[in-house]
Amino acid sequence: MKRHRIEAVMLRHFYEARRNADRITDMVYWPVLDIIVWGFFTIYLTNSNRIRPDIVSFLLGATILWGLFFAFQRDMAVGFLDELWSRNLINLFSTPLGVSEYMTGLILVNLLKAMVGMSAAALIAWAAYSFNIFPLLLVFLPFIASLIFFALALGVLVTGMIFRFTTRIQGLAWSFAGLLQPVSCVFYPLKSLPRGLRAVAWMLPTTHAFEGMRQLLGGQGFSLRHLGWAMGLDALYFCLAVLVFRRVFESARTRGLLVKLE
Amino acid sequence: MLVEVENLTKKFGAFTAVGGVSFSIRRGEILGLLGPNGAGKTTTIHMIMGLVTPSAGEIRIFGLSLRDHREQILERTNFTCPYVAFPYRLTVLENLNVFARLYGIAEPRRRIAALMDRFRIGHLKDKPISRLSSGENTRVGMCKALMNDPALLLLDEPTAYLDPETAWQVKEALLEARRDRGMTILYTSHNLFEVEKMCDRIVFLHHGKVIAAGSPIEITQSILNEEREEPALEEVFMRVVRGAEA
Repeated sequence: MKRHRIEAVMLRHFYEARRNADRITDMVYWPVLDIIVWGFFTIYLTNSNRIRPDIVSFLLGATILWGLFFAFQRDMAVGFLDELWSRNLINLFSTPLGVSEYMTGLILVNLLKAMVGMSAAALIAWAAYSFNIFPLLLVFLPFIASLIFFALALGVLVTGMIFRFTTRIQGLAWSFAGLLQPVSCVFYPLKSLPRGLRAVAWMLPTTHAFEGMRQLLGGQGFSLRHLGWAMGLDALYFCLAVLVFRRVFESARTRGLLVKLE
Repeated sequence: MLVEVENLTKKFGAFTAVGGVSFSIRRGEILGLLGPNGAGKTTTIHMIMGLVTPSAGEIRIFGLSLRDHREQILERTNFTCPYVAFPYRLTVLENLNVFARLYGIAEPRRRIAALMDRFRIGHLKDKPISRLSSGENTRVGMCKALMNDPALLLLDEPTAYLDPETAWQVKEALLEARRDRGMTILYTSHNLFEVEKMCDRIVFLHHGKVIAAGSPIEITQSILNEEREEPALEEVFMRVVRGAEA
């Protein structure tokens, strides 16, 4: 892998973010809007004495961190869609750029964008609702890393699916993470799910990340069990996503799809 | 030989797009790949760039197998085609900056300025690609194609959208690159007069197979089956296409 080629991919998407109002909207607008709505909701619950303060913290924290997860997964896929929409794939892959360099560049630039969105939401939560997530970030770091790792696996998987099925399935870029939200136990504990769904939820790293963070906030200590499950599942899904991606990329070359994708 | 293509075959299911094509290109040579639509020219170029995996056959460039040395080969190769677009929201300068970095150009600003000057698009540097005419877009493609000063340049109908004056500029730039730096060029075009003037040799493809190879005059004599003093590729082309239809 050559650093200058990874930087070129990052530069290409940096320019796109600067020129494309949609990318600015995706990066900042939605995370900020989410935190504003949830902030007002928690104010309402607090004022009517219907909620414990640690639950308020968790709702706002979960909103911010789910936003990070969702944005990273979505932007990975949308970044690749940008190449399809602009019919730029032939230009890119007729250079020495390797697929691993391309994906690394895409991952790094979208991680940065997701961090910008998260920081904007966190600053609003701090300024408007006196919820300061920054000291918690260090404590939550292993769980946040797990969320990022899973978002990466999903981003690679959805990008691979778009390689195979082209823009016919581009809606997955925005909807795939959303499909997982009800069973990821973002805003409620695992035990509140119907029994049949708990097994599904247990197989998602997001469930373990949010359960682990909830335990920490509730003063029940750091759950190595949840972290172990989260990281183990992350590794499994990431390996599967990379395998699927490599296979569909080679298949796209064999079937001549790389030069026909739009 | 700079490029050696042996028995190159590409099948898409039951359809054979390229069937056992072989040819070679000498260093500093301009080789024209001719043929009607669907003859397999573009698929052949895509295989030479590693964008499409051949079903069979071997491609060697700079003495290296493309299968095993894609990265080293593409560092010294480049390509352009007016039908391939650039990210349309990015400006001309931004797009060229990205490609300069992809090729690891040491002094990108100077290189880009020189290329934009060569193709007279310096005044367009801050314009988004979406606001360029087809001809301007083609000239940006030429800047990108010469960015890494390639030893091998693959051009798929490079003058398709250009007016005669700009097409002349592009041809001059290519001939200059060949003369000064020994650049090897693989060229497809439907402008047969241009091919006659530009190419040292021609490989004529039809239905994915080589039906004739040689200099423009040799191709003319071989396909028309008569003595000629001047190449007449248009006549050759019509003979091949009408022969196939009959």
